[in-house]
Amino acid sequence: MSRLEAKKPSLCKKEPLTSERVRATLCVLKGIVTSCYGPSGRLKQLHNGLGGYVCTTSQSSALLSKLSVTHPILKILTTSVQNHVTCFSDCGLFTTILCCNLIEHVQRTGLTPTTIIKLNKHLLSLCTSYLKSEACGCRIPVDFSRTQILLCLVRSILTSKPACMLSGKEIDHIGALILRAFLLTIPENAEDHIILGKSIIVPLKGQRVIESTVLPGILIEISEVQLIRLLPAKKPGPLKVALFRTSLSGDLSDTGEGTVVVSDGVSLENAVLDLLINLGKQLVSDHVDLVLCQKVIHPSLKRFFSTHRVIAIDRIGVTLMEPLSKATGTQPIGALGAISPSSYGSVEDLCSAKFGSKHFFHLVPNESTICSLLLGNRNDTAWDELKLTCQTAVHVLQLTIKEPWVLLGGGCTETHLAAYIRYKIHNEPESILKDGGCTQTELQLIAEAFCSTLESLAGSLEHDGGEILTDMKYGHFWSVQADSPSPVNWPGLLSRCGCGIYNSQEELSWCFLRSTHHPFALETCLPHEAVGSANNLTLDCFTAKLGGLQAAVETANLILDLSYVIEDKN
Amino acid sequence: MACRVINKRRHAGLQQLSSFAETGRTFLGPVKLSKFIIDEESHESILISSTVRLLESLDLTSAVGQLLHETVQAQHNTYRTGTSTLLFLVGAWSSAVEECLHLGVPIPVIASVMSEGLSSCSEEVVSLQVPVSNIFDDMDNTKTFSELEPFSVGLCPFLQGPSNTHWIQEDCDLRDVRSQPRTVFSLSASAVKSPKFFKPQVKVEADQNTSQTLKTSVLADTCHRRSVLIHSRHFNRRGNNQINKPDGVLEHHGAATPKTSGCNSLLELAVGLSHGDHSSMNLVEAAARLQWQSARVQPGSRTVPFTFDISRIYTCCLPGLPETFSCVCPGYITLISMSSSTLVRELQNQPVRVVLIEGDLTENYRHLGFNKSTNVRTVLDSVKLQEDTSEELWANHVLQVLSQFDVNLVLVQGNVSEYLVEKCRQSKRLVIGSVTDSAMQAFAEAAGAVQVAYMTQVNEGCVGRGVFVTFWRSSSLDIVDGNNRMAILLKAEGIRLVTAVLTSPVTAQMQTKEDRFWTCAYRLFHALKEKRVFLGGGAVEFFCLSHLHVLAEQSPKKGNHACSGWLHNTSSWLASSLAIYRPTVLKFLANGWHKYLSALMCNTAISSSEFEASTCIQTHLQNAMDSGSPSSYILNEYSKLNSGIVNSGISGKPEKIPRVYDIVTPKIEAWRRALDLVLLVLQTDSEVITGLGHTQKSPQELEGYLFL
Repeated sequence: MSRLEAKKPSLCKKEPLTSERVRATLCVLKGIVTSCYGPSGRLKQLHNGLGGYVCTTSQSSALLSKLSVTHPILKILTTSVQNHVTCFSDCGLFTTILCCNLIEHVQRTGLTPTTIIKLNKHLLSLCTSYLKSEACGCRIPVDFSRTQILLCLVRSILTSKPACMLSGKEIDHIGALILRAFLLTIPENAEDHIILGKSIIVPLKGQRVIESTVLPGILIEISEVQLIRLLPAKKPGPLKVALFRTSLSGDLSDTGEGTVVVSDGVSLENAVLDLLINLGKQLVSDHVDLVLCQKVIHPSLKRFFSTHRVIAIDRIGVTLMEPLSKATGTQPIGALGAISPSSYGSVEDLCSAKFGSKHFFHLVPNESTICSLLLGNRNDTAWDELKLTCQTAVHVLQLTIKEPWVLLGGGCTETHLAAYIRYKIHNEPESILKDGGCTQTELQLIAEAFCSTLESLAGSLEHDGGEILTDMKYGHFWSVQADSPSPVNWPGLLSRCGCGIYNSQEELSWCFLRSTHHPFALETCLPHEAVGSANNLTLDCFTAKLGGLQAAVETANLILDLSYVIEDKN
Repeated sequence: MACRVINKRRHAGLQQLSSFAETGRTFLGPVKLSKFIIDEESHESILISSTVRLLESLDLTSAVGQLLHETVQAQHNTYRTGTSTLLFLVGAWSSAVEECLHLGVPIPVIASVMSEGLSSCSEEVVSLQVPVSNIFDDMDNTKTFSELEPFSVGLCPFLQGPSNTHWIQEDCDLRDVRSQPRTVFSLSASAVKSPKFFKPQVKVEADQNTSQTLKTSVLADTCHRRSVLIHSRHFNRRGNNQINKPDGVLEHHGAATPKTSGCNSLLELAVGLSHGDHSSMNLVEAAARLQWQSARVQPGSRTVPFTFDISRIYTCCLPGLPETFSCVCPGYITLISMSSSTLVRELQNQPVRVVLIEGDLTENYRHLGFNKSTNVRTVLDSVKLQEDTSEELWANHVLQVLSQFDVNLVLVQGNVSEYLVEKCRQSKRLVIGSVTDSAMQAFAEAAGAVQVAYMTQVNEGCVGRGVFVTFWRSSSLDIVDGNNRMAILLKAEGIRLVTAVLTSPVTAQMQTKEDRFWTCAYRLFHALKEKRVFLGGGAVEFFCLSHLHVLAEQSPKKGNHACSGWLHNTSSWLASSLAIYRPTVLKFLANGWHKYLSALMCNTAISSSEFEASTCIQTHLQNAMDSGSPSSYILNEYSKLNSGIVNSGISGKPEKIPRVYDIVTPKIEAWRRALDLVLLVLQTDSEVITGLGHTQKSPQELEGYLFL
């Protein structure tokens, strides 16, 4: 007997953003991400409440992937930030905070969503065209013949992740390693098309950070006993390599559904083993010196190889397969049949390496863009954070090759951009107004909301009750103690701006960032000597930040545009 | 998903850390008080006396507890030592950090300054390092030492003073310092110099103690008031722990150099690193000696420097036997069933041939990664009478292989089929299962065998020769454990494997004994690997304490950005306010070490109260500060302690106190990990509970949570 149940009607909510609950949860999310932002950001302990692994982090990628949000609006937000992070690795927190702040600020204006969205788009394009223009005053070209700017960029990323628990020395060490790893992935003979290689992160958990290192080639972890057994068989010079994707363990490959019936006395296992030994004979007659297998090699076959002085390493794992195939020039072999000679590759040398208590086979390829970054950190949670950070840093360097600029960090880009827009809207509102559809007042209101969004984003860098100032010449970010004396003493109290490019010795005048101030014209040309000599600038990835800005404004527009949430309750 | 703010007013995480750490306080120092941990539900209890075991048995489900556990495990897995230091400092520094928070110091400033302070200490403490050099060059000379010193394994050599002296030994069972902390020795009249942190009043007594007549009263006084520690790593008391050493063995000691002279005898190093646990360290030292001896007879060993290979040491625990049975022997000692004793007797005194099997030795075992097909069915062509089961067939086949190659011993890494063991026993073949990796490797090297996965793979080239099977002790019958098993010894010429047999009459202490053996072994291992040690006895900690006080009084060096994290490099207002808070924060960091030292002094009963310990440390701190250079102050104190060739007055031979040493990197890393954990928790402001964990909590518990 079948039973029918009436379908529940869908639940439809109008204007979700006006709901108190949505505002509250958005506020909680904003609180979480804002408190993580910047080098003095606070960390979060993520765990399931039942014991087990605890993740201590302040990175958006770790944070957002573990947060389980329920409301559709929050889902839109987190998904779009996660998309951004997959594409650019960096600036996830920036995007989230900007989006939350923007929604909050423009809602206060009380204008209709259509107007808001339209003006937001105008302001966004104003920002992007300024950042991309030659006249941009918060952008530095990257000189790839010198390491200074690149090192500053990497160091800024490392310092902005306090959960890595690195000391100053360790930051320098890891920064240099990341840069070396990145350089090793660039092919030597670059034609029009550069295909970047890969840096594989090898865990050295428990070891000291200072013991981290980078090596060209690939490391395969192996037990000490195996190493002692295999290494004497090694021949000098370049080695011919065969790489197997299929298992050589001697089990029957997928027999499909149904039953296989064999008569007594026939041993399938022996039959497969015979096949394996034949394969081994072919490899030996083809003068292969090194057999690598993703899965398991049958002990008898291993023994066969070792009697013929062929080094066989099994259980390499799927993650190393692609780099191995690239570095050695092999075609991974997927069947036990005859092997075409074109599948073989070669390596320059094979040696053993020991780091901490771990033993490795080190494959030194002839010419390749694969390198291994061995990372150590004191505990698991700090190691995981460091690994993510290193991946971000390498990715950011790769993005920088495509668009060879960096943005000034430490809040300076945001305050500078806010000052630029404020001035632009105040002096030349026509460029936007000519489209029609909004009044000058509306434009002023939204521009003010947009600028204060950027400024409050910069202000999120402060977590310890300090005050934020901005100068009236460059529009940069300056930080000062909360109960500081009168503005007269500011030049003495302040040392450098957030990114570190200007110092307070210059004839500057400051005002509180949060106070209302008159729009002022920006000095947009950067001092060349400052750019050249400054060693510790705080810098941000150009591509990632620009992408983050766009993603944030577009996501905010999307959320503002929502008028109904329809939930299927069945 | 729920989220909770954890540092409103008081930082909950730091409070949790310090309360967790408090549980491990008594594990600090050479006198470790054991604890019983009782499970309220199952009423099971275990006896533990180390930090690692403590944390393993505690229910640390909170996030901070997990992090603490993880940190301790990481230290343990990497170095096998330093966990008690780590745990104590976590507690001391989390309360120090809390006090900083009360004073309103911004969190990034605390993190930055503390990190800088510790880095500076780790760099400067190098001045207290002692090189360990050429330890094994001297071995030929010191080999005679077993004749010179009554140095038998299993007995504590340090207690064997000359029998004709006035030294009184009231209790010589030092190995049980933990359980019987009343081991008392008299103060010798000649030994009157006060060591560092010597109780002030004892100092006075000692000064007066020049006349022989006074001796007895002082003696009585000190003896009965509190326990006295021999060879405490932390507090070395002259007079009660002297080794009588014939001249020549450790001459460099005699030279009254205040600078750290190197440590170049294995014995001296082992004694210095024993930290009060002589019985374990004796075994370790003997094991190292055995390894060195077997390495020396290998061809070409003269050119390769000897390394102490800890992976080639194996421990065999025999609960129920008296402690005197503990020993080290070259070869592999394991337990086999009593029913094989006749077989062993027959195999004795003749070299046997051996086969090494990786994995299990059972009919159904297949190598790892082999997936059995489930859908294969065998059909019989003709109706045959199945006489044997398949296991019988298989066992017969195995026996056939064994007899073909004349093999009498099979060592298996995994499990062995009982049926096969029985079959083999009948045909005079011994099969031993659960053999460790390193033992297999050692036999492969020494007997020339090759490990195989299946018996069918065995050929002449795989079979090893020249293995000897004997009973561990000749009177085998009394070496039987509770499971009716007996210990046998497998040996081969030149085998690079040493077994340490650990025995304890109390079964509950077995785990502890094994742990302590490994702690000592790793301590010696690290010292030999790093070729340097620290001066022990609290010297490094005292140095850090005084160094931080010196640092707090200096203005921060310009350009000293290297060790201070990001803060110096930024333009944040925090960087400029650093100078104001720096001395305070450094002093709080130093307080951690102050607490550490005073806890040590209380634990080891050098001081009767924390107040007394604290006063004593304060006095020394003042002296060190006044002297201008803490490191030379410490070295001076040490040389006062160590330099004099003191005449024992009876034998006319020079007496000396062996120095106490500490290992370098594991110690510094333990500090660093402790501080890192505290700073990690300090910088954490909220706890995010993912998944549905919070739905199981009661409404009261959920108070203070925010939801997404």
